[in-house]
Formats: sequence, structure tokens, C-alpha cells
Amino acid sequence: MKKRWGITLVVLAISAMLTACGGDDKNTITFWTPLTGEDGSYMDQLVKEYNDTNPEIKVKHVITSDMYTKISTVLNSGKGVPDLAIIHADRVPGFVRQGVLEPMTAVMEAQPELKEDNYLPQAWTTGNIDGVQYTVPLDIHSNVMYYNKDLLQKYNAESFLDDNVVTIDEMLSLQGKLEEGDYVVNDALLGWVIMAQIQNLGGDIQENGQPAVNTEAMKQAFLEVKKIADAGLMTPFGEDGYLMFQAGNVLFSTDGTWSSTAHASVEGLNFDVTNIYSTSADKFTNRASSHLFAMLKNDNRTDEKEQGIGEFLEFIRQNSMEWAKAGQIVASKQVIENPEYENYIQSFFTSNEDEIKSLYIYTYEYYPYVAEAVDTYAADIVRGNVDLDETLQTMQKFVEDKIAEGNTQGE
Amino acid sequence: MSNQVLNNTGAEVQIKSPVQQPLQGKRFPISQYIAYLFLTVLCVIWIIPVIFGITTSFRSQAEVVSTGFRLLPVNWILDNYVTILNNTSTAPILRWLVNSIFIATTHTALVIVIISITGYGYARMNFKGRDTLFFTLLGISFFPGVVNLIPSYKIIDAFGWVNTAWAMIIPGLAGMGNIFLVRQFMKGIPKDLDESAKVDGAGDFRIYFSVILPLIKPVLIVCGLFSFTGSWNDFLWPVIVYTDVDKMPVTAGLLLLQDIYGNYRLIGQLMGSAILAIIPTLLLFLFAQKYFVQSINLNAGIKG
Amino acid sequence: MNRKSFAPIFFVGPHFILFIIFICLPTIYGIYASFTKWNLINDPVWVGLDNYRTILSDTSSTFYTQFFNGLKNTLIFVGLSVPILIALPLMIAVALEHKQVKLKGFIQAVLYIPGLISISAAALIWLLIFNKQLGITGNVFGSETVWAANQPYAWIIIIVITVWGGVGGNMIIYRASISGVSKELYESAEMDGAGPIRRFTSITLPSIRFPLIYTFVMTTAGAFNVFGQPLMMTDGGPRQSTTVLMMYIRQLAFGHGESIAGMASAMAVLLGLVILVISALQYYVMNRNAS
Repeated sequence: MKKRWGITLVVLAISAMLTACGGDDKNTITFWTPLTGEDGSYMDQLVKEYNDTNPEIKVKHVITSDMYTKISTVLNSGKGVPDLAIIHADRVPGFVRQGVLEPMTAVMEAQPELKEDNYLPQAWTTGNIDGVQYTVPLDIHSNVMYYNKDLLQKYNAESFLDDNVVTIDEMLSLQGKLEEGDYVVNDALLGWVIMAQIQNLGGDIQENGQPAVNTEAMKQAFLEVKKIADAGLMTPFGEDGYLMFQAGNVLFSTDGTWSSTAHASVEGLNFDVTNIYSTSADKFTNRASSHLFAMLKNDNRTDEKEQGIGEFLEFIRQNSMEWAKAGQIVASKQVIENPEYENYIQSFFTSNEDEIKSLYIYTYEYYPYVAEAVDTYAADIVRGNVDLDETLQTMQKFVEDKIAEGNTQGE
Repeated sequence: MSNQVLNNTGAEVQIKSPVQQPLQGKRFPISQYIAYLFLTVLCVIWIIPVIFGITTSFRSQAEVVSTGFRLLPVNWILDNYVTILNNTSTAPILRWLVNSIFIATTHTALVIVIISITGYGYARMNFKGRDTLFFTLLGISFFPGVVNLIPSYKIIDAFGWVNTAWAMIIPGLAGMGNIFLVRQFMKGIPKDLDESAKVDGAGDFRIYFSVILPLIKPVLIVCGLFSFTGSWNDFLWPVIVYTDVDKMPVTAGLLLLQDIYGNYRLIGQLMGSAILAIIPTLLLFLFAQKYFVQSINLNAGIKG
Repeated sequence: MNRKSFAPIFFVGPHFILFIIFICLPTIYGIYASFTKWNLINDPVWVGLDNYRTILSDTSSTFYTQFFNGLKNTLIFVGLSVPILIALPLMIAVALEHKQVKLKGFIQAVLYIPGLISISAAALIWLLIFNKQLGITGNVFGSETVWAANQPYAWIIIIVITVWGGVGGNMIIYRASISGVSKELYESAEMDGAGPIRRFTSITLPSIRFPLIYTFVMTTAGAFNVFGQPLMMTDGGPRQSTTVLMMYIRQLAFGHGESIAGMASAMAVLLGLVILVISALQYYVMNRNAS
């Protein structure tokens, strides 16, 4: 009995050793993405198609569920840094300040078509810090508003969509008209909705580089959204409003472009998409982010590899129709101008100039802290659990304290 | 409160002998009925969510979000499992299961060796500073490891173990929890057992192997179960040390099924994969539970 | 005699080396980091006791508020969950000792399985059960409350999922311990007329006192490190009343903005000290009573 255990152990140990060896990086571009779920499969397909063109250096796609922590560990140890990665728009200013991003200059020189004119403007410029281009965009993924066609018809609310802006007043007009258990809107991605209202109200989250959270615009944004909750039209606090929309009990759902595939898998859910509701009929904003190709600082990245990365990015620019399947708004104009793209529900957001403009990406360098503050407190404010003025002060302090701590080169 | 209960018993054991008043007639097995009732109620409460989870893996998303709480699906579907098992490129779940079995088995085998030897050292041997050393190590291990993963990664990297099973197998051997448990068990074994073995001329290794080891088999099996389950369920560390999807253990792999904002939206699929993932540990438990409640005859241990 | 002095090195040495490399070094680094400003990527910048001063005495600071709110909530969680996680498994183990109880293996398995299910799947199951529209609480018991968003229900659902997933571990420790107690001891006690309660207090408890100390200390230490259950069940709400310290620490270190790892480490070290003091007290009190 004991002998057998010993033998098993030895065999196991040897097989572990074998798996430890092998795999060299000289002739592959290691490409990290945070694209879990189905998105990863679409990106896998794109990478496979690229590798099928027999490029000199092939791309190896690595999906990680906790990419930013992983990036910290490899940057800190200096080994195993990927050649290419997809990062989110709000990470760019921080990474540039920490000096961990390589400019795309050489890649752009080698591939002249990788330029601003060929991409949605805000997706491109979000990677530009002080005149240096650090990223090439893959997509814009935005907060959008799904609506249940059948419910809209039932409650005679189809007219809300006429001007493409559903206003808070329009929503409030349904007060008292809903059957029990039905709601006008859910609270999915509530923080993003608040960030959109700040734009609709003409405000911002910074003033001369200083965070501006405790502002009139922020207060107004919360008060307006709170009206919906106060009227009992928002799905109850703590309930999963996303599931309630899929169950057909909610007219509008404020979630992400990427949810369209999941909604489509729900049999009998008759839905379409429009802009996030607004405080006024004159302006609408969809708070967005972007997946961006970026190169983390890595001394071992050869010029040949940079050439290869350029070729890969150019391939993506021309062929990323596959990415539209993930529900995202593709950033390459060549793709979105292709008639085939109109088959995708999110083409709504690139159908005209106003729609394109509505996709708003915050580029303030401390945006992540502001977003964290808004996400932490939004639900309690909108549900009236806390005092608004006091909480706005707390949020302002929250962001300022975090900025003061993060600023390592100060002192 | 619980401490107080212990307080009383501690005193009672010393003061009163178990000899009590004579029987008051034939005893009704009331306690037995209470025990049965208690266990039945508990089992029902415990099993309902499990059944609900299992049957949810046979439901469509539309059914999950629209029908109220029902133990059984209206329409049984296999789609969730078909989808899970068909995705062999970004989520090869069967491959992950094999990896996990390899990692957890190797880790557990080594843990059992290490903890029984080390536990013996701290519980039954006499050396200077023994308890101080033990409690120092235990104390250090109580510090929550948050940013520690950066230096841990560097150490693994220095050994060349990044993206290999060693990164999962070896560091966990340093843990103190199981050693603490083994030590506590060994302390409960009467000292005269090894004293008499020593009189017979047995050395420490001999006593460890033939006297103590047979006696702590139940707790070693319990520790083995814990190590196996712990290694199986760890998801923070493997995400950091693995890059190849094919090499990942299953719990880390399942994280790749969540959507990009960290939510599991396809509920049936999540349930299906979670259920596939527990089957091996469950089988191990069913196998092991025969052994950890084995009653041990203290007298038999001496002969070895 | 000579040989004997080397024997302890053989027994505790291998683990000691592993411990130094894989636990001690990273922990020391974590403690070092608590005296720095650090974003996890660049080199840490030494700031002395600044982080501790901010956390412990700067009452206007966000970090002060977070630390004490988080610690308070963690203590509530420990206070609610640990007694149940000790008492309930012990009751189960004792009930299972009855000779006449059938299906022991089945009962044990049912109680152990939840601990194997991943926390995200478990959380989804329970959230559906507690869902007002779809779940049991709404449909069967007619509860109108949204549990995750109101106290004390928010704590209740966190404790329910914790206990559901957590009794199995301690249960099998107690099972293994009680099975080591000699059957003759019980039989002679029974012949002497000792009832079940007396047998429990005068034979079972004293016989398993050492494993009992273990479960107390380790269950408490584990409860202090909780973050998965509140994160998944309530996301720390309502009004951050279930945001435990580990959630704040993890958000500081691995949140969306630039990492504030120095401050996070300082909070982790302070949490470690709290765990240390409490478990030392537990050990001391219980060990003294046991011997």
C-alpha cells in the first residue's frame, strides 16, 4: 500500500516537471486580456483568424480573470510582462503617470492606417496623454438603456422614444399606472447613470485637475434620479433589477452594451436599445469606457515583435466584425461603416453624429476614485437612506484622501 | 457563553466522578428522538438549496428569471451542460478538473506527511523553546495576507514555478492550521503510551511511526480532506500564478465564465459548472468518511 | 542521548524551512509595506508611522472611518457566526453518536456538501431563495422585505450562508475527535445512570477539549478574514453596515484606481494584531480551563 503511494507520487512529480518545461516566447506575442465569459471566445476567434494568415510572429491570447492584479505582480517582478494587453480607458492616465506604458509611436509609424481618422474619435483620444499616443482602441462599451417592447406598448409609453431621449419627467408620468410588480426602470449600473446625468446637467468631475465631487451638478444628478425611486418606479433596493428586466417586469434597464447577448438568450424577451434616460430633453449622454490595446513597459520586447503587434492591430482594425457579436461598439470605422454591422443592435449608437457624441468617456486622471465614491454611495443616496449634502462631503473627502495617498512621487 | 459551558465542565470533571444517582426506572430513548428530529430538520434545510442549485442547472435562463421558487424545473433542459462541455478553447472544464485532481492529490499527500511529522515534533517531543516556536509561527500565520501576494509571486518566480503546478502544491505545505489540529489531537493521547514504548527502547521515529501515527489516522484523514478541499477551492492565488488556460485548476478556471464586469449572468451555466466542479471532492468525502469516524482502540496502538 | 538532540530538527525542520520561505518572508514584506506609500508597481516609499497615525487618530480621514467601520462590522460578523459555527457542529456530532441513528453517512454528506460549493454559486442560490419575487421568503413566508437591503436581515442572510457552508468542517473534526473517545467510558457512565447531558458534559467535552480549542481559535481567525459572503450577498450595504474590514482592505489594494497598498497593509497588520490578541486570549482561557 505504502509503496504504491510512493510510486504514484514519483510519477506525479515527474509529470509536473514535464509540464513545467516547454513554451518559449521568442516567436509569439503574448497578449493578455481581461475578456472573461463569451467575450473571450470572440477574441479567441479573432486571434485564431489572424494566426491563420501565417504572420511571422503569432499571437497567443491569454485571458485572465484578475488581470490588473496580475499586471501589478509581473511589473513588480519585471518578468513575464505580456507583449500586448487590453486595458480599460480609465486605467490609461494612471499607468502613464506611473510610467508603465510604452507609446504606440513605432507601431503607428509601421502601420500608417492606425490613426485617429480611422477610429471613433473619443476611443482614440482617450489613449492620448500630452500629445503622445499610448493605445489603439478595440471598442467602446457603454452604459445603454434596454427597453421591453411589449411593456412599452402595454403602458402606452412608446412615444417616450420619439426623440430618442427618454426623460425623467416622461418616466414619472407613469406613476400610478403600473400593475403591481412592474417597474419603470431598474438600478443596474446606477453609478454610470449618475455620471451621465452630470454631463447632461453641464457639470464635470474635476476643476483644474482637482476632483469636484461635491458640486451642484452632482447634487442635481442625484436629486433627479432620486425622484424616480421616490415615486416607487425604480426596482426595489437590494433586488436584482437585471433579472427583473429579463423576467419582463421592468420597462427600462440601464445596463451595458455587453448584456445584449445575454438578453437575447432569454426566450420571449422582446427588447431593443436606446439612450440612457436624461434630466432634459435637449441632451443625452451614455457614459462609456473603451477596451484599448496597450504595451506595458518590457525591455525584452524586440522591434520585430512591435512590428508584429502593428500587423495584428491593423488586422483587427480591418476584421473586427467578430467583436460586434460580443455586443460592443467596435471602434474601427471601417467595421462600423460596413453594412453588415447594421445587423447588430449596438449600431444604434453609431447611426448618426449625435449618437456618437453621446458616448462619453471620462478622461480625468482620478476618475477611478470618483467612480468608486459614486458606486459606494449612489444606491444609499438614491434610496434616501442617507443625507445628501453630508454624503456628498464624505464622497469629496473620500476622493481627496485617496488621491493624497496614491501620489507617491509627492513628498 | 460557550466559554462558560466549558468552565463548568472543566470543574465538574475534576470534582465529580461519573458515578451518579441510580436509574429512575427504564429510560425512554427521548434523547434519541430529539437527535433524530434535530438531524432531520437540519438536513432538510441544508439540502433544499443544494437541490435547488442542481435543478437550476437544468433550467433555461428565461425560466430562472420568471418562475418563482420551485424545486423542480418546468422544462428540464441539458443545454447548460452541453454549452459548458463544448467550450474546449476558452473554458476546457474537463481539462481543468484533471489539473485540479493532480494538484489537490499531490498537495494532500505531501501535507499528510509534513503535518504528521511536524505535529509530532511540536506535541510529543521535548526541546527548548518548543511551544514558543510553535506559537510564534502560528501567530505570524494569523496576519492576513493581502499585499503579500506580490512577494509570494516573486518567490515562486525565483524557483521558476510560475505557470506550473508546483506553485499550487508547495507553498500551501507551509500552513499552520493542520499542524495545529494534529498537535491538539496528539496532546489528547495519554503520555504513558510513548513512555512505555520508550522503556522498550523505541526511538522517536519508531514511536511516531508505530504508536502515534495509527492513533491519529482519523485526524489525518480530516486534515487530508481539508487540504484537498482547500487546494481545490483556492481561486485567488491560481489566477495570479497561471497564464495558460490549459493548465489552470477548475476553481480559477470557472472565474473565466463570469462576464467582463465580474457578474455571472448565465445562472444555469454557472450552477452546472459549479456542480461539475464539486463532484470529485464529494466522491473523496464519501470515500473518506468511512475512515475518519473509525473508532480506535487505544490499547491496540501500542503493539504497532 | 546525542542522537536525541538532533531528532527535533528532523521533525520540525522541514516545515520550518517551508514556513520561512512561503509565509514568513511574504508576511515580513507585508508588514514592511505598511510603513510605506506603495502602488504595488513602483518601489515603496518609506513614510514611517504615517499610515498608522492616519488610520488610528486622524478622525477626519476616510481611512479612519473605513477602518473603524470595517472593524466594527467584522466584530459583529465574528460575534454572530463563531458561536453558531462551534455549537451547531458539536450538537450534530453528538446527535450522530447515537448508536441507533441510521443513515449517518448520508446525513454527514448532506451537511458537508455546501462547504464544497463555490462561493459565487452558493451566493446565487441563496440570493434566489431570498429574492422577494422569486424566492421562498417572499412566496412561502410572505415576507415583504428585501432582505439584502435592510437590517437586521442583511446580517441574517450573510450568517445563513456562512453557517450553511461552514458547519461541515467543524462537524467532521468533532466526529473524528468523539470517535476516539473510548466506548467503555460511555457504557460505564450509562450503567452508573448518567443521562445524555451528563455524559456530554463529563465525558465528551473533556475528551475533545484540545480539538475544541483548535476549532475555537481557527474559526475565529477565519471569521476575521471574511469578505466573500458579505461581498456577494449584500455588497457591504445597506449604508456600509455589512462592509467588513477585509472588503475595505481589498478595495484599497486592488480597487479600480491606483493601488493604495501601503494603507491597505497597515490596516491588514492592525487586523492581524486584533486576531492575534483575541486568539491568544481564547487559547489561554480555554487551555487553562482544560488542564
